[in-house]
Amino acid sequence: MEKYTLIITEKPDAAQRIASALDLKGKAKKVEDNGVPYYVAEREKPIIVVPAIGHLYTVAEEKGGRNYYPVFSFKWVPRYMAERGAKQIRVWLETISKIAQGADAYIDACDYDIEGSIIGYCILKYACGGKENVAKRMKYSTLTKEELEKAYQELLPKLDFALIEAGRTRHEVDWLYGVNLTRALTLAAKDWSGKYATLSTGRVQGPTLRFLVTREKAIRSFVPAPYWEVKAEVEIEGQIFEAEYERDVVETKREAEEVLNACKGKDGVIENIEVKQFQQMPPTPFDIGALQSEAYSLFGYTPRRTLDIAQRLYLDALISYPRTSSQKLPPAINYEGILKGLSASPEYKKLTAELLAKKDLKPNEGKKEDPAHPAIYPTGNLPERVLEEPERRIWDLVVRRFMAVFGEPAIRQSVKVRININGQRFFLRGRQTLKEGWLRFYEPYVRAEEVLLPQIKEGQKLKVVRVVSEDKFTKPPPRYNPGSLLKKMEETGIGTKATRADIIQTLYDRKYVREERMVVTDLGFEVFEVLKKHCPSIVSIELTRSLEERMDKIQANMENRENVLLDAIEILKPVLEELKNKEENIGEQLSNAIKKARLEERVVGKCPTCGTGTLMILYSRKTGKRFIGCTNYFKKRCNAAFPLPQRGIARPLGRNCRGCGWPTVQVRIKGRRPWNLCFNPKCPLKEERGNLEVRNMQ
Amino acid sequence: MKCAICSREALQNGFCELHARAYRSVLKKYEVWKKALNISWKEYLSEVAKNPFTGEWAKEVAEHLLKAGEGQNGS
Ligand SMILES: [Zn+2]
Repeated sequence: MEKYTLIITEKPDAAQRIASALDLKGKAKKVEDNGVPYYVAEREKPIIVVPAIGHLYTVAEEKGGRNYYPVFSFKWVPRYMAERGAKQIRVWLETISKIAQGADAYIDACDYDIEGSIIGYCILKYACGGKENVAKRMKYSTLTKEELEKAYQELLPKLDFALIEAGRTRHEVDWLYGVNLTRALTLAAKDWSGKYATLSTGRVQGPTLRFLVTREKAIRSFVPAPYWEVKAEVEIEGQIFEAEYERDVVETKREAEEVLNACKGKDGVIENIEVKQFQQMPPTPFDIGALQSEAYSLFGYTPRRTLDIAQRLYLDALISYPRTSSQKLPPAINYEGILKGLSASPEYKKLTAELLAKKDLKPNEGKKEDPAHPAIYPTGNLPERVLEEPERRIWDLVVRRFMAVFGEPAIRQSVKVRININGQRFFLRGRQTLKEGWLRFYEPYVRAEEVLLPQIKEGQKLKVVRVVSEDKFTKPPPRYNPGSLLKKMEETGIGTKATRADIIQTLYDRKYVREERMVVTDLGFEVFEVLKKHCPSIVSIELTRSLEERMDKIQANMENRENVLLDAIEILKPVLEELKNKEENIGEQLSNAIKKARLEERVVGKCPTCGTGTLMILYSRKTGKRFIGCTNYFKKRCNAAFPLPQRGIARPLGRNCRGCGWPTVQVRIKGRRPWNLCFNPKCPLKEERGNLEVRNMQ
Repeated sequence: MKCAICSREALQNGFCELHARAYRSVLKKYEVWKKALNISWKEYLSEVAKNPFTGEWAKEVAEHLLKAGEGQNGS
């Protein structure tokens, strides 16, 4: 076979898209070798596009072994050498090496960011036999045919080595932190209790846990304060309106009563009417963080989930590369072309037509930039398959946001009416949209609140129906949820857009937090306390951020890898020494926390039978079978017991059954969808659910 | 010495670090409640103990102080 050009991509879907885009007939041939798919595109000179499956190489320690620390020497190795369960990688790399031998030109077409750059670099360097210095770079932000063709015509002459250097450093520093600290904690606990449980922390995980613990402490020690809200109901043209007292908060009961007494039996007079018009600017284009928080607040999707969905939409060439921190949309993406493409969908036809009729399309850009990619935008392609509901929602959100950023500012009007009731002042507020502008494009994801007031004039007398005071209490600060935590990480500048969602997930996986409104578990508290006490630098937000900034500087050629690595080791050394010296003490503290956490995991909820005991997942001494029983059984006060499926994992759901209000458990069996089980034999929803549960019990 | 409420080590006022923090918060807010409702320390504690917005630790502290019948200064 004649020599060909080898293109490397990050994922199989991207390989297929690129090969089809570059094939003269638009139809690349798929070949499978040892289960590894690759694509042949015919052109003047043939092209083979071979995908990776994410990272194929990783950082590992130079010597083997798992049970010691500190570890400061490392090297990059194929993942199958460092991780269990990565066997597939071996075949994959062998196949890439084989294909690389027949190539005489190399192109890295992995995603243009830190992660993608390392993936391409490692493959070119290690699997293709040192081709990293001759390879060219293909840069694109969408997988549409037009852009891929253009990117191929305008290849960058070499890899972005500063980006690669920054990425390598990140992985190496994170590895140094992760492996050493995780081993220190895990070994301390294991040596004390003889039981193994992974406890982890990392460079970003520690400070992230800190945000949560700080908030949790504030919530748990919170004492509310009483206050009063006074409102007057007034009648205007037969309609009742609620006016608020001039002070939002009345601090004492006595004052609230005085206001009430003063207003008793009195009429009101309109003293003043203030009308203001204001503009509401269109939103800025989505960067990944903004998309994640918006999807969380609208649909309740975790940042991790939104990223996965966006990634799929990107691979389907429906939206641009999602891992971006840019809020800019350069004209080069061709606004008009995109809108025209979208107009083929009946849903967007009217709205796009409106935008296309404008003389000038100018997006309302934000400040944030990203050297590699613009903000997230729809490509203008319509789905080639039926999207799943979550995919459809995210795509629709991206489309409508894109349209909205080109919209005119909305013009709103606020009216503030001051009412005097026997010397006491109340305010009545109205709000109204005068010109919809961009709001129309972003519906239903934005709703303007409308409160219309009837015609009124100053000096007008009003009938006061009644004046009331409501008892109120100040509330504790809200718990973080995955969306707001991600935002906090972003604002503080810790982690990267590629890693933040995973770090949040890890906190759940390690059982440091639970529930959507993130509650720190006792285990989370203990791990944090241990770290804070023995190695404050590890949970320090400032230190983490400063390291972060220096790694960013590598990307701009203003800092070098060796310096940053050496400094990271200097930070770690004393920390690990301290952990080792206090190993026994730390081990005891952590082991107790783990024990408590395991017990907590089995608590199902309050016993509905006796009302005082606690239902727990228990194991029968006689048969070894698991069931749900009441803790009062041991005090001979309650006999409540319910069977559970014996296979799979059963864990308390922390939610009550909507049919009977009893606590519920979730059962997971490998290869099946997890299901939620109400174990109340008399639950009114029992029949509706059919016999599924009964079958699973047997 | 153990904390009067949990099994952690006591640091100050007979409370662990976490409950001591909640104790300070309980002490501090009494001023606000007294001014707002003109209530006694004991009435205040029982209000706090049953308020749904009171944090878990603060609630434990309030209940403990009620049971112990302690005055505002630990007397
Ligand atoms: Zn305590």
